[in-house]
Amino acid sequence: MVRRLPVWARQGRFRLGGLVWALPTLFLLTFLVYPLILLVLQVAVGPAPLSAPAGPPGAMPLPATSGVFGQLAAAGQEVTTAIGHLARGVAVIGQDPYFRSLIRFTAWQALLSTLLSVLIGLPIAALLSNYTFRGRALLRSLTLVPFVLPPISVALGFILMYGNNGWLNRFLAAAFGVRLSLLYSLPAILLAHAFYNAPVLVRTVSAAWQAIDPSLEEAARSLGASPRRVFWTVTLPALVPGIATGAALAFVFSFLSFPLVLALGGARFATVEVEIYTQIRILLNYRTGAALALVETILSLAFSYGYLWLEGRFARPQVGVRPHPLHRLEWPRRPGAWVSRMVAAVTLAAIAVFYVGPILALVVQSARPAAGGGGPAVAASGVVSGWTLQAYRYVFTPEYDAIVGDSPLASIRNSLVLATATMLVSLLVATPLAYAFAGRLRVGRGVAGAVPAEGEAGHLRPCWGRQLAARLSRWGTAVIETAAMAPLAISSVALGFALLQAFNRPPLAGLRGAPALAIVAAHSVLAYPFVIRTLRPALEAIGPELPESARLLGANRWQAFRTVELPLAATGLLSGALLSFAMSLSETSATILLAGPGLSTMPITLYHLLSARNFGGASAMAVVLLAVTGLCFVGVEAVGQRWVYGRNGRRARGSAE
Amino acid sequence: MHLCVSHPGGRKVASSGLTAPAAPSASSTISRRTLPALSCLQAVVLVSAVLLIGLAGLARNGVGTATAAAPTQQLVVYTYDSFVNWGPAKEIQKRFQASHPGVELVWVAPGDSGTMFARLVGELQARRPTADVFVGLADSDLPAAIAQQVFQPLDYRLLPNLKDVPARLLLDPGRRVVPLDHGFITLVYDSQVIPPDRAPKTFADLLQPQWRKKIIAIDPAASSPGMAFLLWTIARFGDGPDGYLAYWKQLAPNLLTIAGGWSEAYSMFEQGEAPMVVSYSTDMAYSYISNHSTRYRIATLDGQGYEQVELMGIVTGVDSSRQRLAYEFLNFMLSTEVQALIPTTNWMFPANSQAPLPPDFARYAVTPAQPVRLPAETVAAHREQWLRAWSAQIRAY
Repeated sequence: MVRRLPVWARQGRFRLGGLVWALPTLFLLTFLVYPLILLVLQVAVGPAPLSAPAGPPGAMPLPATSGVFGQLAAAGQEVTTAIGHLARGVAVIGQDPYFRSLIRFTAWQALLSTLLSVLIGLPIAALLSNYTFRGRALLRSLTLVPFVLPPISVALGFILMYGNNGWLNRFLAAAFGVRLSLLYSLPAILLAHAFYNAPVLVRTVSAAWQAIDPSLEEAARSLGASPRRVFWTVTLPALVPGIATGAALAFVFSFLSFPLVLALGGARFATVEVEIYTQIRILLNYRTGAALALVETILSLAFSYGYLWLEGRFARPQVGVRPHPLHRLEWPRRPGAWVSRMVAAVTLAAIAVFYVGPILALVVQSARPAAGGGGPAVAASGVVSGWTLQAYRYVFTPEYDAIVGDSPLASIRNSLVLATATMLVSLLVATPLAYAFAGRLRVGRGVAGAVPAEGEAGHLRPCWGRQLAARLSRWGTAVIETAAMAPLAISSVALGFALLQAFNRPPLAGLRGAPALAIVAAHSVLAYPFVIRTLRPALEAIGPELPESARLLGANRWQAFRTVELPLAATGLLSGALLSFAMSLSETSATILLAGPGLSTMPITLYHLLSARNFGGASAMAVVLLAVTGLCFVGVEAVGQRWVYGRNGRRARGSAE
Repeated sequence: MHLCVSHPGGRKVASSGLTAPAAPSASSTISRRTLPALSCLQAVVLVSAVLLIGLAGLARNGVGTATAAAPTQQLVVYTYDSFVNWGPAKEIQKRFQASHPGVELVWVAPGDSGTMFARLVGELQARRPTADVFVGLADSDLPAAIAQQVFQPLDYRLLPNLKDVPARLLLDPGRRVVPLDHGFITLVYDSQVIPPDRAPKTFADLLQPQWRKKIIAIDPAASSPGMAFLLWTIARFGDGPDGYLAYWKQLAPNLLTIAGGWSEAYSMFEQGEAPMVVSYSTDMAYSYISNHSTRYRIATLDGQGYEQVELMGIVTGVDSSRQRLAYEFLNFMLSTEVQALIPTTNWMFPANSQAPLPPDFARYAVTPAQPVRLPAETVAAHREQWLRAWSAQIRAY
């Protein structure tokens, strides 16, 4: 099993660590910390006067300060002034009733959206983690598909399905003569947020569920606990880290949500993010915008920190490596179980309708002739009849002029290349960080891991100084970890603005010649927190004994990681990979700010089609986006499973089912 | 069984499978036996390398690298997405390059007008503008453009085609911008739901209880047609709580929603969510010319419509050699040749009064009897306060 390694590697001098740690650090400093400093600076200095209209372009005035130290001192002073401005801005926002009600409403709807996402996500996760049925793998792979749909397509799907003139209302009107007003209200916003975020919960919760050692549940059962009691006292506490992760992500997304809120709720339900957009983009009030973004970030990070605390609190390392058993999905013979099965079946059916309805409506819409077309296709009721593939023909036309725009066909290729690159960069950046945050750096070094410190006090009781140091380092790790989540918690409008500033200045400006690289960097900044968030709980669930045993048997650290920890944490890693892939596929605001001519992605093409009144083409593009991402998810998951488990490992896992 | 036998062909299979990101199924041949631990890392590195090459390929069309191709001079023009994907950009490019040999016209338009303007401002603040000319600035962004010194003052003598542009469209006394085209924000209604004789004709008509939840408005805080409609109500009813705010208070029950942007609003309208939407006065001409349908019709209110002017200008700091070209381009954009393309490609009225209108366009595109437009300086001075008061009035919480 152990490969022969060069002498320097076997003697422990093989420090993969060097490169593995340098890369994420450099990446975060360049693409996250630096842009954010520029954003803060922007607040202090404000818009610089852009003088010299007729002057040559090379003669732009530079700061007069000479010497590196002088410039550093000047920069430091600017940052201090900026922080002063920001603090004053935050104070103003805190006192202003207009902003206060805005923030209150935003947090309230995010909280409700999170609850709804958990309610919808848990049953699906339960189904996927406990039962085996035909198409389970496919369903598992496809759960994340709604997550990549551009908000405007989700809104269109909702309007087609639940709108005043939607399928549901037409059915209700025909059957019962009533119409329901469902959209353009708070519940509509909550449902749409749940539509997006429940899939994320399904991923994180089922990753936690599959990591549960069945011995625990079996032990509880053999001691006489009822299945219900086992669920409440054994299973659910073990699921808390997964639920906390998913809920943290759902909360942050709902808190920062912008286009979906406007599309399904309208301006009457404007959120903080809408206000930031107005301040920065419409009114060009960078100070107010940045101060609002800061308040927003602090709030969403505070909530995330709460979840992280919860996640750490409930994390229990497991000893066993037995896979979670899967039951065959069948109708119970025991009559008593019927009621609960019925409830479960109805719940799942309702969820299926909830998801399939809007997506199916989009598919149907894309194959209908354009509305407002007049002519014979439009019936008297205003309902368009007949079918056409005209919209798809338009999307798949390769001779579309690639000089001015980009052909829809090419945008599919661009999206896939960018998303694959983003996924790889995010994995390379986030895996070492997740490993560190999970406290696994100490595992295998002879000192017990950070998490079971109290439980294993027996074999080496550390002195108080060490305890303090451990506590401090744990606290410091938590702070750094929360900060590493920042890209998720920062307003996308503000982050886009910061990236634009950063990519226009010397160190990164070179990348402007290659917009694709700039876009991959921006996407990776947005995507790597997903990998951390999904990988960390999975790593934490592995007890320190297993890698330690591997080390004792002669494996070096990399081998222990590669052959023991990585396969056990594979579900988390895969979820993170898929989420980062999905994030890149659906991102638009940073892409628009950085893209050059003739570089378009699928969602941007969709927006172009919309603004060109090609609503049919936009629906077709949304369906293509769904189909392509669905295929990719299935593919990535298949390759990932193969990569981690190997062909035999997969069968070994399967035999436990 | 678990011994890692180094398979001679194994690595090759692995790499060729993994280098095809678009076809993940091709890599199904990988198994753990043929892919030992360290070569997995190598495979990742290999895939990254191949991706980098692919990305560099994607970047080939980029602004920076295209210059190396030929001794051509480039003129980079920022505009909004639909001007390129739908509008006359392609035709303009063809004709301009034909009349200017050795010149390459590059359109950059990944976003809407506001986004592209924000991108340009951001680039200018970092003193690294990539654009020479901006086409399609919304008139509501003009005060910001002046404050940020985005455009350089123009010498109107170098733009002879300006002689056919009506003086009322020359919005900037400082001569930093010239008009591209103009249009009117009005109401559009579905004549299959509202017969033309029953359609609202005044602002007061819109308040009737029969239109409860029948109007789709657009958010002025996020989109320019929405802002135009808000400004229209301010122009009509005046500032303050007894003016436009009082009107909006009465209008609120009749609004189905206030959509985030024009695309959302118009697709809701086309889906039959409500029979009235805030939109452009050329929509009927559009639907007649492209679909031979007169279903969607225009309603001016009190004979009014709010006028929007789209502007263009030369970006600050463009060097002198390109400046000449930029002037020639602006003059070309104002020529009757280009302006005649505007109506049926960009669905706006041309700025050049000599440009001929196609007969169907002239017949169905509505010019309100009384165009309304607030002066740009007034808007700039009060916009934030108006928006805030409106937002506080309209909020559901």
